[in-house]
Amino acid sequence: MWRRALNEVFSFMGCMNNKSQLIWVVYAVRGCSGLALPVQRITALQAAHSWSQLFQEKGVSEPDLSSRYITAHVLGAKTFESVKAETLSEPLCPEKTLQIWKLCAKRLKRMPVQYVIEEWDFRDLTLKMRPPVFIPRPETEELVDIVLSDLQKESGSLSILEVGCGSGAISLSLLKSFPQLRAVALDQSEDAVHLTKENALSLGVEDRLQLYHLDILKDAETILNSCSGVSAVVSNPPYLYTEDMLSLQPEVLSFEDPAALDGGADGLTVIKQVLILASQILLNHGRVYLEVDPRQPPLIQQWVESHLQALCYVETKQDFNNRARFCILQKQETNKTHKQD
Amino acid sequence: MFDMYQGYVHYKNWDFELFNYTPSDYGGLHHAAVRIAGDSVYRHLKHEGGTHRVQRIPEVGLSSRMQRIHTGTMTVIILPQPVEVDIEQKDLRVDTFRSRGAGGQSVNTTDSAVRVVHLPTGISAECQQSRSQLQNRDTAMRMLKARLYQSIMGKEVEQRHTARKQQVGSRSQSERIRTYNFSQDRVTDHRTGYTTRDIKEFMRGGEALDDLILNVLEHAETEALLELVEQSLKQTTCENTADK
Repeated sequence: MWRRALNEVFSFMGCMNNKSQLIWVVYAVRGCSGLALPVQRITALQAAHSWSQLFQEKGVSEPDLSSRYITAHVLGAKTFESVKAETLSEPLCPEKTLQIWKLCAKRLKRMPVQYVIEEWDFRDLTLKMRPPVFIPRPETEELVDIVLSDLQKESGSLSILEVGCGSGAISLSLLKSFPQLRAVALDQSEDAVHLTKENALSLGVEDRLQLYHLDILKDAETILNSCSGVSAVVSNPPYLYTEDMLSLQPEVLSFEDPAALDGGADGLTVIKQVLILASQILLNHGRVYLEVDPRQPPLIQQWVESHLQALCYVETKQDFNNRARFCILQKQETNKTHKQD
Repeated sequence: MFDMYQGYVHYKNWDFELFNYTPSDYGGLHHAAVRIAGDSVYRHLKHEGGTHRVQRIPEVGLSSRMQRIHTGTMTVIILPQPVEVDIEQKDLRVDTFRSRGAGGQSVNTTDSAVRVVHLPTGISAECQQSRSQLQNRDTAMRMLKARLYQSIMGKEVEQRHTARKQQVGSRSQSERIRTYNFSQDRVTDHRTGYTTRDIKEFMRGGEALDDLILNVLEHAETEALLELVEQSLKQTTCENTADK
């Protein structure tokens, strides 16, 4: 007989009984109402089903997907569908069962699946995920497509600047697709800078990436001095309206960095700073690519036309759901650079 | 016949691609298959499909008893080729989880399933095998193209079978569309009654053949038009009768 303490939620006792079967007994369930560990060995299918039911009961969003992604992850797969049917119907070993239970307990607390399994896919890359660093959204995959198709028309070695890199999704996708590209990426969050570095190392592109822990709202001067002459500025800046922050789902509100989401009263606080910086840092004919809220493109266009003559508004592009999502602007030809001022 | 059509393709500046050429044991051609590409190829050649009759006296020196008119037939089959599948963005609807809500930064989701619908045909394809929505969309698009192509191909195969049946017919004498009479130096198309001389020149597949084909075409298109008019007249008469 032996005892092992798990975490603050529950503990258990295990013992060997007859030849091969290990019986787990739940000892105490403290605090939140989790799911009792099974007395007998169960299959992955059964585990996923049990947790899916509990998620549903407790109002956890996407109950089926949550339990399936977590179960698949414990089985070493990315998706439930990619696990062999036989494997799903085999009895799980105690270690795996325990792992599924631990992770699902986190999901029960509304932790996003991406943080629970500590990874997620972005385009063809698998990136590490860690709270509170912002989890890449599907729309941003399209932003990369847009930048890529423009970059492909250029030749020679190019460099880009990403403002608010988060987990590194945008910069790392671009660096992976373009062996000749160099990137400078910055984020106001030290966690984000560390995570981007980790992901860059995993993907083998860290030699072409310069990372800075800088805040565009406070350190604009430092940024200007750290890099110049970029062909493109890319950003998925915080663009939510402050008043909308409180109605966000728990996954976002309680776990992701609010500074990565809150764009101020009109959602444009960071966007404007990105545009001002871009106008000074871009090479002639260089472009800015932004992901924004569908209401913002016309406001951005108006603001640029009256406040930032150095930039010309090129185009608004839609996302898959036909919402205005991406703004493209271009640096007008000028003899002045910020250094000459 | 093969040489004649090859000559015609050359005359019209079309592309000629040989797929199959099988000679017969006793000399000459048994069967052949050719792919022809160019402007209005199908429109010109579609009426060539059917049984062609040849009447000639064989060249090989034979006794006077054997020197009789020999009649042979040749079957020509013309089949239209399927087109490459080209999908326009405006014909597509993409359904994702995010179609329903506000999307963007305000939502966290692991639902990356994508369904692409081709609006004109209603054919659709779904994919949720990747955690990346973009990858799922790319896969769904590939599946959709394959399904569209299959659907077009399916229709083409159907058309081919029908065309084949119609054109081969019963291979009887009465089904012949054209006679090449070498002994009387005359080519006659039996659908229009068009007759031309100098069969040697005709068999080169140049202007002479083109003239005949254009004549058949005109005839066929006029007939089709007359039929349309007749049909619409019938309808009007019926309506008038009904009114009374």
